[in-house]
Amino acid sequence: MIKVEHLSKNFKEVKAVKDISFEVKDGELFAFLGVNGAGKSTTISILTGLLSKDSGKVFIDNLDLDTKLDEIKKEIGIVFQNSVLDVSLSSYDNLKYRASLYSIRGEDFNKRLNELNSLLNFSGYMNRPFNKLSGGQKRRIDIARALLPHPRLLFLDEPTTGLDPFTRKRIYEVIENIRKKENMTVFLTTHYMEEANDASHVVILDEGQIVAEGTPLELKNQYAGDYVYLYHPDMDLLNQIGIEYEKIIDGVRFKINTTQKASEYINKYPTLFKDYEVIKGRMDDVFLNVTGKKIEEEKK
Amino acid sequence: MKTIFTLTCRNFKIFFKDKGLFFSSLITPIILLVLYTTFLSGIYEDSFLSALPPTVEMDQGVLQGLVGGQLLSSLLAVSSITVSFCANMVMVNDKVNHIKDDLLTSPLKKPYLAISYYLATFLTTLLILFVALIFGYIYIAISGGFFFQIQDILWMSLDLILLTMFGTAFSSFINYFLSSQGQISAVSAIIGAGYGFICGAYMPIASFNEGLQKILMFLPGTYGTSLIRNHTMNASFEKLKDTLPSFAIEKMKDSIDVNIYFFDQKIELSIMYIVLIIATILFLGLYIGLYLLEKYHKRKA
Repeated sequence: MIKVEHLSKNFKEVKAVKDISFEVKDGELFAFLGVNGAGKSTTISILTGLLSKDSGKVFIDNLDLDTKLDEIKKEIGIVFQNSVLDVSLSSYDNLKYRASLYSIRGEDFNKRLNELNSLLNFSGYMNRPFNKLSGGQKRRIDIARALLPHPRLLFLDEPTTGLDPFTRKRIYEVIENIRKKENMTVFLTTHYMEEANDASHVVILDEGQIVAEGTPLELKNQYAGDYVYLYHPDMDLLNQIGIEYEKIIDGVRFKINTTQKASEYINKYPTLFKDYEVIKGRMDDVFLNVTGKKIEEEKK
Repeated sequence: MKTIFTLTCRNFKIFFKDKGLFFSSLITPIILLVLYTTFLSGIYEDSFLSALPPTVEMDQGVLQGLVGGQLLSSLLAVSSITVSFCANMVMVNDKVNHIKDDLLTSPLKKPYLAISYYLATFLTTLLILFVALIFGYIYIAISGGFFFQIQDILWMSLDLILLTMFGTAFSSFINYFLSSQGQISAVSAIIGAGYGFICGAYMPIASFNEGLQKILMFLPGTYGTSLIRNHTMNASFEKLKDTLPSFAIEKMKDSIDVNIYFFDQKIELSIMYIVLIIATILFLGLYIGLYLLEKYHKRKA
């Protein structure tokens, strides 16, 4: 669906995107991860034709961005980081005016509105001014706006920033549901690493460069490892074994490279493993390990 | 065409739904109306009376017609710019709030967007100015100076449309370059405070020194003010012909910019129309040209 080759973009001295290449397959949920300022939004702006690139090639659905931008625009929908709808107008008016940009009017619009309402369930507040809606309600309307033209490719630029965990979860459920129903490719950028857990493919961007890519499992296995959590363990035995551990409330945790290693410990020291869990590394750990950043640095 | 129409409706609706924008657009016309009715009308009356020989007595109705006509022309000339600048803020807000990003990720052609902003601003400004014109007629009628014939009203309506087209084209061109709330405030303040002086609305250009007069004659707004002033005062000047000789009337017209001169050459009404039309086409062309040249929307990362 998307093919990016050696893409670069500079803003004066700032190199926002540095020679990146990647591919997004048809129908997959593609996650583009990075902290604020990593170059995610710049890349999305280039892919959607809002920003020029300095070098490289971009193909969307086999259409060259340099020459077929108008055709590409008919294929894409975008949910921006912040709502970009008209705050003084109702959700209905917002959707009606945006739909007309794709020549969706009259009966066609009403039909599409009903379809989107059945997916996103916004009829209860459709006639309320947009600025009177809650964050979650606004996001639903943003998504509905992006889906108006039946896009084959949906860009989600940090769609859950500023939303509470419950609403974030609901939004992702809705997106996943729509992705399956409408058979769309979803290009997700986020700095909440855990949101990429369900992605088919993940690319991690740091300071404008791709620093890692793969499926979430591949990345976790390669960069995060597993953690063993022992609750109320026999500390003497633990110290005797000589495992380096970290104290946590009600116990300790220690890192192992593979899940196999956990099995070995359990078989070898069964008395130590009375109350325990083995947890796969998180995407946060992947990101921190990949980019070499420590939590302390983040705090600074 | 349907897309332009829909976008124009959207822009129009946003302006009237945004109470801040709507009321700020009315500030200049309301301030001028209050200022004129409470303060400047007396000064204008004294000014007209002092220009007459002591032996001549001017009909009170004609005097009120002249004063009202001058006030109305000034009000409309200034408001055609200030209101259009306010109405055009929909375009600037779309840019500042990144709404333009959303619009331009659709297959929308950029000139269509530019034209929709122009049309919405034009219609909004025209609507407000016509309301101001009606209030002006009521004020003049109450003061006893309403001598307008149907052709005067038609000419004034045409002038108003032309002034609005010019004001909208000018504000569209200037506002194209604005991209922050600070810039919006600065430009609004400068236009609101300054335009009335340079177009001869607050004070006749004839009362400025000769050098400044020559400079102001290069600005198209000057011709717009004089054009509409000709038509708002014409009926009263016709009445005045019964009282004053034509040379005295011409002198009076010179002093209040009904007659304007470009390097001693009197400017005919037809030339005023041509100047305004050319200026409108020029600014509109530049404005749409800027959108056409914008291969990529200049989004800040």
